[in-house]
Amino acid sequence: MSIAKKIILKLLLLTAILVVMNYIYVKWFYEKDIQKYSNIIKLVRDVPINADVIYIGESSNITFRGDDIDKRPISSFISDYYPSLKFYDITKPAAHAGTYKVLLSQIPDSSKVKTVIVTLNLRSFDATWIHSKLETSLQKSTVLLQQYPPLFNRFMLSFKAYDIKSENERTMQVRRQWKKDIFKLPFSFRYTNVIEWDNGFAHAGIRNEDSTKNIELTQLACNYIKGYAFQIDTLTNPRIKDFDDIIEMTKKRRWNLVFNLMSENTEKAKELVGDTLIYFMEENRKLLINYFSRKGVTVVDNLNDIKNNQFIDQKWTTEHYAEKGRKIIAKNVADTLRKFYPNEFVEPVYKKISQNVFFNNCDDKNNVWFQMKTITDEKSFSQPNSSKTGNGNDYSVAFQYPFNSIADSLKNKIDISFKAYMNFIDKKADLVIQADGKNIKPYSKSWSLTSQITKANRWIDFNIIFKIPDKIKNADRIKIFIYNPSDKIVYIDDFRIEFK
Amino acid sequence: MLFNTIEYVIFLPLVIILYYLIPFKYRWGFLLAASYYFYMSWKVEYIFLIIFSTLVDYIAGRRMGRLPDMKSRRPWLILSLVTNLGLLFAFKYFNFAADNLNLLFQKFNILYQLPAMKVLLPVGISFYTFQTLSYSIDVFYGRQKPEKHLGYFALYVAYFPQLVAGPIERFSRLTPQLKSKQTFTYSNLANGLRLILYGLFIKMVIADNLSGLVDKVYSSPESFDNISILKAMFFYSFQIYSDFYGYSIIAIGSALIMGVRIMDNFNTPYLSKNVSEFWQRWHISLSTWFRDYLYYPLGGNRAAKGRWMFNIFVVFVVSGFWHGANWTFIIWGSLFGIIYLIEKEINKRFNLIKTYKPFSIGHILLALKTFILVTLIWVFFRSQSFNDAMNIFALAFKSSRLKTTALIIPVSTWIFLAIFIISDILLYNKRFDKHIGSLPMAVRWTIYSILIFAVVVFAGVENFPFIYFQF
Repeated sequence: MSIAKKIILKLLLLTAILVVMNYIYVKWFYEKDIQKYSNIIKLVRDVPINADVIYIGESSNITFRGDDIDKRPISSFISDYYPSLKFYDITKPAAHAGTYKVLLSQIPDSSKVKTVIVTLNLRSFDATWIHSKLETSLQKSTVLLQQYPPLFNRFMLSFKAYDIKSENERTMQVRRQWKKDIFKLPFSFRYTNVIEWDNGFAHAGIRNEDSTKNIELTQLACNYIKGYAFQIDTLTNPRIKDFDDIIEMTKKRRWNLVFNLMSENTEKAKELVGDTLIYFMEENRKLLINYFSRKGVTVVDNLNDIKNNQFIDQKWTTEHYAEKGRKIIAKNVADTLRKFYPNEFVEPVYKKISQNVFFNNCDDKNNVWFQMKTITDEKSFSQPNSSKTGNGNDYSVAFQYPFNSIADSLKNKIDISFKAYMNFIDKKADLVIQADGKNIKPYSKSWSLTSQITKANRWIDFNIIFKIPDKIKNADRIKIFIYNPSDKIVYIDDFRIEFK
Repeated sequence: MLFNTIEYVIFLPLVIILYYLIPFKYRWGFLLAASYYFYMSWKVEYIFLIIFSTLVDYIAGRRMGRLPDMKSRRPWLILSLVTNLGLLFAFKYFNFAADNLNLLFQKFNILYQLPAMKVLLPVGISFYTFQTLSYSIDVFYGRQKPEKHLGYFALYVAYFPQLVAGPIERFSRLTPQLKSKQTFTYSNLANGLRLILYGLFIKMVIADNLSGLVDKVYSSPESFDNISILKAMFFYSFQIYSDFYGYSIIAIGSALIMGVRIMDNFNTPYLSKNVSEFWQRWHISLSTWFRDYLYYPLGGNRAAKGRWMFNIFVVFVVSGFWHGANWTFIIWGSLFGIIYLIEKEINKRFNLIKTYKPFSIGHILLALKTFILVTLIWVFFRSQSFNDAMNIFALAFKSSRLKTTALIIPVSTWIFLAIFIISDILLYNKRFDKHIGSLPMAVRWTIYSILIFAVVVFAGVENFPFIYFQF
């Protein structure tokens, strides 16, 4: 037998074996692997089959400020305008169009989704985000979700068919990109690329009144330069390709597509760096709006709509907005959606209500407290979820509230109760109350959970009534949570707080 | 470009196809370009180090070839030694030396501090410098004729299958094969693929799955109970073995498809009856390098007992230091030296040198003893510092007052580890490709299927580079 014939026969045999293996893999292993390595699929699977609108985004959707009274995400605020429609959000921090594309492709054909709102984050087009250190794990989490036979996807995962780079390599990539991208400006500018600008600005610095360099503000200004001084090239920027793929996909599936261009802190950018940086931001905005509008996408332009005081991170460049900011974006999107749902639009009324009872059973997505990432379905008192603490998760779901918005007459006592479940008696787990503000000294008080929970492997009530001391009545914020720095797990459920 | 990545899965077949399609006279150039590309996939700049080392050794070799005696050749040998060991020192040992000198300065209240060098260790530098050194030394002693063709010499230094982690080949063995016109044969293809498949299995399924477990324990040993620490020690023995053995046989398999036979680097080392035998079966290309270029020049065993003991000890200490710029490696090497010498003495006194039938009770007990000793010594190899290593021993053999947890080990890890151990026993003094090739087709393909399925479905997905890449 000739060598060629032998090889062809063996290849045929191998192909047959691979087909059988694919069957075995799908039948017994694929689902476990998906859960283990691509758990972002859970975000898609949680989307109800009868959802009408999907909002897909990164942390800008869900991040809130401690003093927000309504801590719900942007997507929930949008849904307030369309009570007759079923909204659902897919939120993955640090995600970008490349991730959205894979996630959206996983929405089953049986889904009734009609409209998809995709977050369009200006900074995600920048080298810093494109070559972010989070990219390796993000890309890895999407390998099993590609549209190829599952065994092939697993092969790609095993053979590391994603962009594996160390943090150092990623930093080098960013610098190379910055060096390569020469500014093309219609006016004269002393710097030719972002590295030069960053260095030049850092050297000159922002000066204090006594003409010393204000290091903190200079660093912040440099972050703005590094975050926004880029010019999108539609031919080479990988995000453009990903958004184009999303457009193609939504056309095929006949979804309405809305790109939601997030607001940036242009006020701060102008104040710290000046008009040239605003020029870059504006040019990129125009380019994105024109480019995607020409492709038939509805683009909501929020770029300049949020004032500096609504940006949560004052020492970094993010798209994290306080309640008012999130509501502005939600309104802009809701107004745009009228194009698709003219009869369903209802102007919501946000009444200022004085609330004194707060309850979190860890099951309502719209009831947002801090540390929602601790929510798990491993155990629960009231089905299906609870908050899991310990073994790395030091904090439970945490209540934080602007204390000054509680009526003075209700600032006498706090009645706190919750259910706790310990696998082993954990003496390190405490209930903590903290208060702080401009007019008081930081205050903290804690109670060991074992003062009331003395038996393991069962749900037990914990209840205390805390008399609010006079010295914290003028606090701006109050926080109540379970702190469990041990490696033993404590589950918390049905957390109730009442100001009396 | 790691062997267990998609890049290599594409790179290797492409190189092999083009290698056989290209006319013979251009093959060396093509292989050299492919090898340089392979190396540059880590860091482009470091190719200049290889080129520099190649040029120096090529010129030194050529010059030595023209000189009549060792005395006149000596300066050229020194040039080669200084260049290669200098590169090694600069990139690998400078910071270690600086740290220790700085400590010494502090002790004697000297205010001067040597600065640290912020450079990444070039991948495989310890391997290719040793490979080229062996050439220079052989030319110096007149054991090797100097190579005239710069291209072939460069290819000897940079041949991609064994460039970054060996086996460390000798010029006299590798270059004639690279120079001869290799023809494509089915048996080379089949044997090469068998080795690659088995290599991928033991690297990706055994080593990478153990790696996560071992890392977990070594990063916070206090969190784990005694049994978990002992398990981690046991696992590390197999992690490092399967990691390096896997790399070596993928290298051997890759070269074999191109008709090049690279030396075996491992031969069931954990079935060795003593440490001396262990080093004849573990990292064979390095052991033989040290034997030929350090132990023999020091006098070998043709010396008084004291001098012989000194020679043995020096070889092990240098071998330890070759592995890494850390006291832990020096301790690791020293311990092997001490145990080697003690075992030699005991074997002699109690007449234990007699040959045991494979897998007789005597063999099994002695192999078990050797494995336990080696496992304990690996602790120094794996630990970041002497204190870390001692902490591991303390936690493994003392009861802890802290709250500890047990290491959770997936059942699949045990199953595949058991498969690997059994296959290692079956492969005692045999090589995987030849042994499998002799089995009936149905059995062979059943084994292939299991290995392919394991590699695809059970491979560890975290990126654990080959351990020996750091050396």
